[in-house]
Amino acid sequence: MKQQAAAASTLATRPLGRNRWKPLGIQAGLIAAPFLLFGLFLMFYDVNPISLYGSMISSTFGDLYGFGEVLIKATPIILTGLAAALPARAGMINVGGEGQLAIGALFATWFAVFYLHSMPFWLGIPLMLIAGALGGATWAGITAFLKVRGNLNETISSLLLNYVAVFTVGFFVHGLLKDPESFNWPFSPEIAATLRLPIVNGTRLHVGIVIALALVAVVWYVLKYTRLGFRIRVLGSNNLAAERAGFKVSWMQVGVLLAAGALAGVAGMIEIAGIEGRLRPATGANYGYLGFLAAWMAWNSPIRLVFTAFILGMITVAGNSLEISSGLPSSSVHILMGLVLFFLLGIGRRFSR
Amino acid sequence: MSMKTSSKLFGLVLALVMLITGCSQPGVTPAPASGANAEGGEASAAPGTDSPAVGFIFVGARDDFGYNQAAYLGSMAVEKAYPDMKVLRSENVPETAEAERVMEQMIKDGAKIIFPTSYGHLDPALNVAKRHPDVAFFHQGGLKTAENLGTYFGTIWEPVYLAGVAAGKMSESGKLGYIVSVPIPQVLLNVNAFQLGAQSVNPDATTSVVFTGSWCDPGQQANAANSLIDSGVDVLSQHQDCTKTVIETSERRGAMTIGYHANAATLAPQGWITGSVWNWSDLFVDMVDTAIKGEFKGSKYDGKFRGRLSENIVQLTEMGSEVPDDVKQFVEEKKAELVAGTLSPFAGPVLDQAGEVRFAEGEEPTLDELEAADFLVQGVIGNIPK
Amino acid sequence: MITDILTGAIRSGTSVMYASQGELISERAGVINLGTEGSMLCGALGGFAVTVWTGNPWLGTLAGGLCGLLISMIHAFLVLTCGANQLATGLTIMFFGMGITSFFGRGFVSEQIVGFNPVPIPLLSEIPFLGKVLFNHDPLTYLSFILVPLLWYLLFRTRLGVILRATGEREDVLFASGINPQLIRYAAVLAGGFLAGVGGVQLSVAFTHSWVENMVQGRGVVAVALVIFASWLPFRAMLGAYLFGAAQALQLTVQQTGLGISPFFLFMVPYILTLAALYIVERKKRSQTPEALRKVFTGTSAG
Repeated sequence: MKQQAAAASTLATRPLGRNRWKPLGIQAGLIAAPFLLFGLFLMFYDVNPISLYGSMISSTFGDLYGFGEVLIKATPIILTGLAAALPARAGMINVGGEGQLAIGALFATWFAVFYLHSMPFWLGIPLMLIAGALGGATWAGITAFLKVRGNLNETISSLLLNYVAVFTVGFFVHGLLKDPESFNWPFSPEIAATLRLPIVNGTRLHVGIVIALALVAVVWYVLKYTRLGFRIRVLGSNNLAAERAGFKVSWMQVGVLLAAGALAGVAGMIEIAGIEGRLRPATGANYGYLGFLAAWMAWNSPIRLVFTAFILGMITVAGNSLEISSGLPSSSVHILMGLVLFFLLGIGRRFSR
Repeated sequence: MSMKTSSKLFGLVLALVMLITGCSQPGVTPAPASGANAEGGEASAAPGTDSPAVGFIFVGARDDFGYNQAAYLGSMAVEKAYPDMKVLRSENVPETAEAERVMEQMIKDGAKIIFPTSYGHLDPALNVAKRHPDVAFFHQGGLKTAENLGTYFGTIWEPVYLAGVAAGKMSESGKLGYIVSVPIPQVLLNVNAFQLGAQSVNPDATTSVVFTGSWCDPGQQANAANSLIDSGVDVLSQHQDCTKTVIETSERRGAMTIGYHANAATLAPQGWITGSVWNWSDLFVDMVDTAIKGEFKGSKYDGKFRGRLSENIVQLTEMGSEVPDDVKQFVEEKKAELVAGTLSPFAGPVLDQAGEVRFAEGEEPTLDELEAADFLVQGVIGNIPK
Repeated sequence: MITDILTGAIRSGTSVMYASQGELISERAGVINLGTEGSMLCGALGGFAVTVWTGNPWLGTLAGGLCGLLISMIHAFLVLTCGANQLATGLTIMFFGMGITSFFGRGFVSEQIVGFNPVPIPLLSEIPFLGKVLFNHDPLTYLSFILVPLLWYLLFRTRLGVILRATGEREDVLFASGINPQLIRYAAVLAGGFLAGVGGVQLSVAFTHSWVENMVQGRGVVAVALVIFASWLPFRAMLGAYLFGAAQALQLTVQQTGLGISPFFLFMVPYILTLAALYIVERKKRSQTPEALRKVFTGTSAG
């Protein structure tokens, strides 16, 4: 086990082999392969793949609105992706982004509705952001507690807690947080206009993407240039070495999980303050899982994550136009997403060799 | 992956992104203009006029023997009535801001008439409506309206009340079961109407209500149906989006069943009593017609429209073959009274579970009051979160 | 009432139980497969579709199992041959399964099938209490009663079982005796996929007689969690699955009593109970974790 770990760490640091260009060609081929496969699949169903991919690109880059839509989609994926990538660097697997986002959204809405509604934006929005982070961290804290005190694997517990989170949000929007003016429909009151994130004219794009990118920069910097980041990476590559080096492994694990939860919680806050304006039972559904996949596509690198999140955002957005234009169910793009990931996962190890 | 490859890949993607954005630069400029124009320039055109396409968004699958199937049938009727019009559909659209994008896409594809068919699509629809004053929106089941957004629904609780009457007559144990999703007003109103109907013919009848927490989870539905039947319930009704599983389960267990949303008599040849269903077809066609002619504003559809049993927009299906003639006749009589307006299911006094008076003696609640139901009537067993 | 809850536990726990037995085989060989959810979905649809076409639920069961197996083959290939991360691959399979089944399943939502129905076992079902709880179920449920002891026997009393367990614990021993552990792992993952598929069939063809998009609703995820709760022992996994089923049945029974508990709390009960059970079990001992799995969990194998 130790040897393996050592081997893994040398693997990661060894520079690329002799042939520099061949891998790039293979990479390009492998990235194109799932799209080709899915194209064949579409042709089977009488859909022209070229026009689909064409409209996918043109609806993303063709106008500001479409580009904004993809960025809106990418924003929470980036953050939940960070929530998966950061623990992954420390050797943990957090699949709980989904629940952490939901509880983050719940906390953010709760504070926005009950305490922050009359505050000026420069005070209210940051406080709401903190509330969201707190919510996500709280939810991740359960996972951390179970891990450190109960030896309970964080993958399983964070996954199960996602289901609990959905019902928790349901409980609040059907009860304590129900909008009194909603004629008893299950959603929270709308948050004050001052708490809404500023948007770009003519689109729904809000400044959330800037927050997300800033947090990417922070995580990247911490991991790469700080002592804390170094320790996290040591912990990730070799648990025992970290212990021997005198790190407080448990505390570090707790800290990393809390930070991850906070990041996902911020995503929840951004969904509320940027897009939805109020909490609903299904707010942010699926972003946690998409984020996890984006993180793996990016091999847990914060910088690359920005791109993978963008690509996943693009694919999801394309799903709707596919259904409207061709009648294929929007879930068909899950197939494309799966293919892309399969290829990336399949070549992952050989990539790094 | 080493730093070098990653930065190379990085550069590649970046270049690609820049290339593509660069290429489409000319396209960027008109886009915001169209958004801005829509607010000022075209305001004179009545929403929906001469629309070349109509868009329908559904919250679930189109053939679920339920809510979405009913709306889907409506969209089919529109397609048939206007062969030259493009009908755009999108299923499984979540009730979040996600729906906004779907509607925007439909508008891009030419739709000037949009049917968001689930209550949760209301806020997104209101947002989109604000941006596109030239598009007419017909939202199903909402309580809010806008300049170019009207809501429509049917008083489905009327047939549900009649189904309750039939159930009360048919049940031997006097124990009825109602499998529902989440405690929203539409659901509570139906449960109440059902219980009041059953109570009117059997004062001892009770309705046990079970929440599944989901609009369509067959596993949970089968659990709930079995659990209710085990506890002695002999007539099952439901308020779910997909209704097949509960009906089939109750048929297999030898219980009787009341359908909802769509006629599913074929699923339960033995136990089918009756069902409450939507008849959107004529209504949808009429709404599209109104909008195309540019008459949306000022028509009965630009505000809150509620189709009644008397207008045949909500219906009670035919009774099952096992239902005796005297019951059939009795329900028909009640239906006639309801249509004529001599029978009013919610006329006071109506007491809630705690025995508190919700509608006082002699009081006749308005439709708005009914649609904001937040209580269960006496005789319903079950609990709603406060 | 207790009879009802216990009967309900078996009714709604059986699909989870099949999946968790499958996952157990796979994890014993050192491969965790979060794609169980996807396998169950594929099984549920495949089984339903073939039952629609042929009218024979047994053919449906076979087909559903094969569908579950096919999708787990992707997992096996990526993880074992390509060395991909097990958890990420599993999650991808879960998504892929959702996509592919909702795509191909669209035409089956309104289909009707006869499927499996409860067959009371003569004499045995007459026994008060036990008869109703145990001997009034569909054939797949009876089959699952037999499966568990069989699996236990296989794991702990046969040479194949020794090999399987060694694959997850001490590879080097296997190499020494000339057996290729990769092959065993492949077989274990595929067998796991097959059983998960059958679990899906139980849900669609025996329990609900319906197919609806994403109808598994997290049962596959629970199955994976239960295996850990069960410390990789078949009988415990069975117990766990029935506990989960009982929690669901109890939840419904409590609702019907009209007690003043929010249904949303009741919905959480099965998941919280699973977590609590895991917490209690894992706190006490962890030595039983197959060595190869521990590496996955601690991130020391596969990147």
